[in-house]
Parts: sequence; C-alpha cells; structure tokens
Amino acid sequence: MAQVVLKDLVKTYGSIYAAKDVSLTVNDGEFVALVGPSGCGKTTTLNLVAGLIPITSGDITIGNRIVNDLDPKDRDIAMVFQNYALYPNKTVFQNLAFPLQMRKLPKSEIETKVKDAAKVLDITHLLERKPRELSGGQQQRVALGRALVRDPAVFLMDEPLSNLDAKLRVQMRSEIKRFHQDLNATIIYVTHDQLEAVTMADKMAVMNGGLLQQYDTPANVFANPVNMFVASFIGSPAMSLVPLQATTVDGRTSLTSSEGWVLPLSDANARKVAAASSHKIVLGARHSTIKLHKSAVDGAVPARVYTVEPTGDITFVQAFLAGAILNISLPPTAQVAPDEMVWLEFDQDRIHLFDGETEMALRAS
Amino acid sequence: MTIHAGHAGAPRKALPPRPSVLRQMWTSRADYLYVLPAIVVMLIVIAYPVYYTIDLSFFKTPPGLQLKDKIFVGVENYTAILSSEVFWKVTLNTIIWTVASTLIAFVLGYAAALALHRDFAGRAVLRAILIIPWVISAVAASYIWKWMYHSDFGIIGQVLVQLGLTDRQPNFIDNVHTVLPSLIVVNIWREFPFAMIMIMAGLQTVPEQLLRAAKVDGASAWQRFWHVTFPHLSGVSTVTILLLAVANFNSFIVPWITTGGGPSNASHIWITHIYELAFGRQRWGVAAAYSVLLFIIVMSLGYFYVRALSGNEKKEEGP
Repeated sequence: MAQVVLKDLVKTYGSIYAAKDVSLTVNDGEFVALVGPSGCGKTTTLNLVAGLIPITSGDITIGNRIVNDLDPKDRDIAMVFQNYALYPNKTVFQNLAFPLQMRKLPKSEIETKVKDAAKVLDITHLLERKPRELSGGQQQRVALGRALVRDPAVFLMDEPLSNLDAKLRVQMRSEIKRFHQDLNATIIYVTHDQLEAVTMADKMAVMNGGLLQQYDTPANVFANPVNMFVASFIGSPAMSLVPLQATTVDGRTSLTSSEGWVLPLSDANARKVAAASSHKIVLGARHSTIKLHKSAVDGAVPARVYTVEPTGDITFVQAFLAGAILNISLPPTAQVAPDEMVWLEFDQDRIHLFDGETEMALRAS
Repeated sequence: MTIHAGHAGAPRKALPPRPSVLRQMWTSRADYLYVLPAIVVMLIVIAYPVYYTIDLSFFKTPPGLQLKDKIFVGVENYTAILSSEVFWKVTLNTIIWTVASTLIAFVLGYAAALALHRDFAGRAVLRAILIIPWVISAVAASYIWKWMYHSDFGIIGQVLVQLGLTDRQPNFIDNVHTVLPSLIVVNIWREFPFAMIMIMAGLQTVPEQLLRAAKVDGASAWQRFWHVTFPHLSGVSTVTILLLAVANFNSFIVPWITTGGGPSNASHIWITHIYELAFGRQRWGVAAAYSVLLFIIVMSLGYFYVRALSGNEKKEEGP
C-alpha cells in the first residue's frame, strides 16, 4: 500500500477546466471518497490518477514515484469500474487471472493468487461461470477480486455501487468497507452519493465545477461546511438555506427577512456576521436543529407548511420561509397539516451563516 | 387463530390443460387477420414462383416449342446437370468466388474499420472515399474495370509495363487462368466497404470501460484488441460474413457485365450460368432445376444466418 499525493492537478479540454488545481494527500491505508454532482470533475480526477487520460499540468505521486507520464499498467494501481467491466467471454477465473497473465506470471502462481482472492471475496464457487450468469452483487465481487489479485498500491473505484439496487447497495457498501479494513488498503473511491461517502470514507473530498471544495473527515465536513455548496450537498435531506439581510440596531445584530420578521442573533453569531462582505447573509440549518411550534413563541419565526412526509420513524416537514423551503424533522406523532402556519425556532449554536456574496461560511473573526 | 407461513405446505395446484393449437389460433384470430395481406402478397410473389420453378424443373422445353407445350421428363434435368462437366466447373468457380470474395472483403473491411476507428485528421474524408465503391452503380463499375483490365488499352496493364514488371500488357480477363481472380478483385473492391461499415458500427458498441479495464490490467493495444474488441465483434462478424456469402453466392452484375461467364465458362458462377441457360439458350427446364438446387443451398445459408442472429439475442438476454 502507498500514499497518493495530488499536487495542483489540472485537466483542461480546450478552454474548459475538468479539474482545476486539485491538491490532496491520501495517506497510506486511507479510504478517501471523491464526491460531488455529475460533471464536478471527480471521475476525471480518478482517471488522471489511473493514467487513463493525460494530465494538463500538476503532479501525481504514488508511493515515492511521480507517475505523471507512466502507463496505467506501470502505476501499480487497480481499478473497479461502475459497470464492473468484466470480460464477458471469459470465465470468472479467467477474469481474475487476466491482469496476472498480462504480467506474465507463472501459471501456478496465477492459480494460487486467483484462488486466494476468490476465497477472500467468497466467489470460489463461481470461478467457472461467465459474468452474465452472475447477479449484480456477484459481478461486483468479481470486479473487486480482479483488483485484489494484483496486490496494487492503490485501489481506484469509480462509482462501483451505482448499478446495484438499493438493498444490495447497502450490503455491498459494508462489504467494501470491510474489504478496506481487512486489507488496510489505500482506496480512492468516486461517488455522487454523499451517503456512500459519509458512511464509508475516512476522508471525503467534495468537488464542484472541477474545483476541490473541501477535504476533511466526513464528520468535519458535515459539521463545518466551508461554503454553501458543501452545506447543501452533504446531508440528507440537505441543509436548508434562507437568504436574509443583516441589520444592526443599538449594537444588536439581527437577521431580517423580506417577510418582515426579525431573528436576533447570539453574540457569537453576530461576530460572524460582522466579518461578512455585505449585508446579504444566508442562514443555514439542518433539519434536526429546527424546532417547530404550533403557536407564536419568543425568538421563533413564522412559516407556512408546504408538505408533510411521514417516513415511519421520522416525519419530514417542508415549510416556506422567506422564499426558501426548509426541511424540518419531527417525531412521527407530530400532527401538522399542509398550509398550516407554524413557528420555527433556530438553535443559535448549531446554525450556519454564509456570506451572501461569496457563498463562503462565515467564521468569527 | 394460526397463521400458516407462506404457501410452502399447500398442495401445488395442477396446471390447467394446455389449449389445443386450433383453439389458440381462434383466440388470436385478429392477429392472423392483420398479417393476412402480407401473407397473400408473399404467396403471389414468392410461393407461386417457387412452386412454378420446381414444377418447371421436371420438364423439357426444346427451343421452338411454346412453354405451355413443355414435355415432362421427370428428374432428367437433375441427372443431366449433375453428370455434366460444366456443372462441376461452375460449382467450383462459385465456391472459389464466394469464399475468396467473402473472406478477403471481410478481412480488408475489418482492417479498414479498425484503422478508421482511431482519431486522426482527415478521417471523415477517408471514410467517405472508402465507401464509394459500395455506393456507385455496379454496372458502371464493372464497365470501368473491364476497360481497366483491357488487354490493349487497360490502365492496369500499362502501369505494370511502365513499372517494368512485365514486357507485354497481361491479358487479365481473356485468359481462363486469370479471369476469375481478376473478377474476384473487382468484387472485393466493391464489397469491402460493406464489411467496413458493419464492423465500424460494431466498434461503436465496444464498451469503453472494458478497454480501460484492460489497459489498467496491463494489456497492450494488440492484447486489448484480441481479448476485448475481437470477442465483442464476433456476433456482428458472423452476420457480416453470412450476408457477404449470400450476396456473393447470388452475385450477377460484376461477372455478367465484365465477362459474361467466359472465356469457356472460366468465370461462370451459378447465377450467371442459370441466366445464360434460361435467357440465352431458352433451356428453361434445366435452368429451373439449377435454380431449385441454388434455392436449397441459399436457404441453408439463410438458416445459419437466422441462427447466428438469434444466438446473439440469447447472449444479450443472459441466462
């Protein structure tokens, strides 16, 4: 296993940046998820690491070698693809043996390695079958096996679970996590599903528009999103964002809405707002931190219920507030009806404040 | 109250008896009605001619006699064909013509498709040029080739002389040894673009991820072709070869226009021979018998074609 370092990685297609100045370090044995919406540059970044597309500028180091100009086969990597990319005319055994044959290993060694990998992934009984005779989950395991037999320095995984149905995806998620723990493997894992990233990765790199937005542990990314994009992308349902105006009267800072209500801020939050570049402030709050009242309460602001979505153990309520829609989670016993007026109370210690101009999170100066 | 878990213990219901074929036909009678017009047309334009040809193959039609006065001779036409020397010569010609044209056109088309699949400047222009032989009129092309092969004025011969490869203009199509290979060259020139287009279409469907996976696995360009592209194209290759084989077996324009089967039957293949027997020498009965034999052979090829097609479907459906 090895460390992977990306330094100022750039990939352009004409004048379009597919990846721009991406720098991050994946430590030995770490599981890093590249996450972001479609077209954010995450798969491009993975393909750059794999050597499947040439880099425009920057450096990629795997282990202690700069691999910028090396062929994929010389980079000591293994890749798992979205639709498994198993060779359809070869049996499972031949699929697993293929990368070893390409390295001209002796037959006996190939057989030993393939059998060992098959044992680890519990696919020994499938070795004589063709890929089309396997279920999605089994194909996924074979694809992992083909990566495993090579004993690579880094595993690169490109949305390996997105072709599976929901139930199997959850199961394979834990299998891949287990795979990582057992082998202490260095893994770079691309996904558009933030839940996969949060549940599996040691660290996550959130990308958007070719730029690395935030690179941190899932807990930190969740707790301290650096900007509005990360805030709205990580977490399910997403963090609600409400555009407001900051006003300071007699030294007391408040947020005011176009609807006329005023939300006084705590001292700590007021200091954050003071650092903003303009009066435009965006208030962010996660569904679990908002309290819903059926009648007017001090410090709560009025909103109108839009939809009520019972999920069993939690009921999600969406409400209109200052032109934005907020997600609020309630116990299943809560009785709320659409179009009802409610009052929402924010937890001053757990709200997020963003600069309305730069979209960056505001920190106390 | 007890609740039974599932139906595991319940006795399995007997399947209802299978309805008879007639009953099935009656329930879907509307479907038959819809295909009726097509069936009627097919009967008129296919079934009747087939029947008439088979019928005619048992008769003799001496010149000077009207067709309605034909004389029944049983299988004499067939025995005459099978015992004639020309039949075996023409059959051998047909086999050489079909196999050589099909395989060489396929290999050339395959190679051209692989070459054109790579990205390079001028690719679109080259592709358009390479398709020309396939789209221009076969009659016009045959005449042009006939002149290019001409023993006195042919450009091919002149080029060979000027290059110093030969003293005299070779006689390509008036020579019993070189006429068939010369015609096969024309046929290959005409047909390889078809194979090229088919294989190019197939190449579009080779999954990019498989090629990438092979690249990561350490396969060279040749190994990627051999382990990924080639097996992926096996279905379309089979279909292409079968279509080419049927087309070549039935081809008429190139040999007929260029040589008319000569000299001394050296470039006759079945179709041109049948045509000559029927419309040149009015030996309708023998020509009909030939046609019946040809029909049987082409239908067998057709059977393999359909089987290859349905085999592909099964593969895609999975188990």
